[in-house]
Amino acid sequence: MNFLLLYLLFLKASMSSFSGLAALPIIREDLVVKRHLLTDRDLNTAVVIGRTTPGPKGLYIISVGQYAGGFAGATAAWLAIVTPSLLVIPLLEFAGRRADHPKVKQVLRAVVLASAGISLSATLPLAADALRGWLSYAIAVAALIILLVTEVDTLWVIFGAGLLAVVAHSLGAPGSM
Amino acid sequence: MTPSLGRLAVVMLRIGNFTFGGGAAAVAALQREMVSRLHWLNESQFSLSYALSRVTPGTNQLAFCTAAGWLLRRWRGALIAVLAASIPSCLITWAVTVGFDVVNRYSMMRIAISGAMAASVGILLASFWLIVGPHITRKSWIRSSVIVAATIGLSLFAEVTPVLVLGVAAVAGFFWNEPT
Repeated sequence: MNFLLLYLLFLKASMSSFSGLAALPIIREDLVVKRHLLTDRDLNTAVVIGRTTPGPKGLYIISVGQYAGGFAGATAAWLAIVTPSLLVIPLLEFAGRRADHPKVKQVLRAVVLASAGISLSATLPLAADALRGWLSYAIAVAALIILLVTEVDTLWVIFGAGLLAVVAHSLGAPGSM
Repeated sequence: MTPSLGRLAVVMLRIGNFTFGGGAAAVAALQREMVSRLHWLNESQFSLSYALSRVTPGTNQLAFCTAAGWLLRRWRGALIAVLAASIPSCLITWAVTVGFDVVNRYSMMRIAISGAMAASVGILLASFWLIVGPHITRKSWIRSSVIVAATIGLSLFAEVTPVLVLGVAAVAGFFWNEPT
């Protein structure tokens, strides 16, 4: 399929969504229903891959690109997720110049608090999926405490958690992952 | 403190590409790194970048990285940040897609990812407190708590879209003056 067309289809999906999987219905409509470039099974697999790889949840679009058009399709998808992020620059310039105005400050603070609330809401389904068995709860609590009271690099916490899960499983610890 | 483009790229590459649990967890880790540990951004710069990245279409994490890069090193910083934060994880996703059936056979890999996902829950909770905590002061705790609680209620129980929730919060923030 034409690289530019694929890029524009992904860009349309990316530009019309503001979080993780929000673009999924548009991608399905354009690539599965209308153009038959991939199947529903491919789309589901892409979502699973997006959840098991590091980085933003929206990266499932790279898998979709691979299924729809090989490496060129994946490249078109990457360009389509990078492009909208540049829109934050004019927003930053506009709001940044007014950032000292009390009204702008209190609106920004409200948006920051609301964003934190939205993130916490999104944590609940993730927690339901990720916390199974005592070890996963112990890892989550340990990560929380380490991050709040120490300056240990987050990356080490993540690697340590993965390693601990593997060691516990290898030792056959009851309730491990 | 202004970092070199190389150091900026390294932080974006490390945190932006190897944090499980989605963009919120990565932004939480970036906040800890860039605000608390390295002092590259102050709290208000972080708040500005964070708030605006949430209302930018597309992937919030990449918009946040672009905003942070722009604040630190303007155009070159923005480009380096968004490229460093996206290329490796996109390549990993692409490689996993190509070899999905092979990777899926390694149970140890799945177990390690499960451990990392559990840690992400802790990362997200820590992030929530690191962001909300500074706004819970003696004067402003009622306003802050109501906004957070209403947001959670609208998102979880009324299933209102994030953009609409942010819009409502912005309007509330405009009209509900902070106590002086």
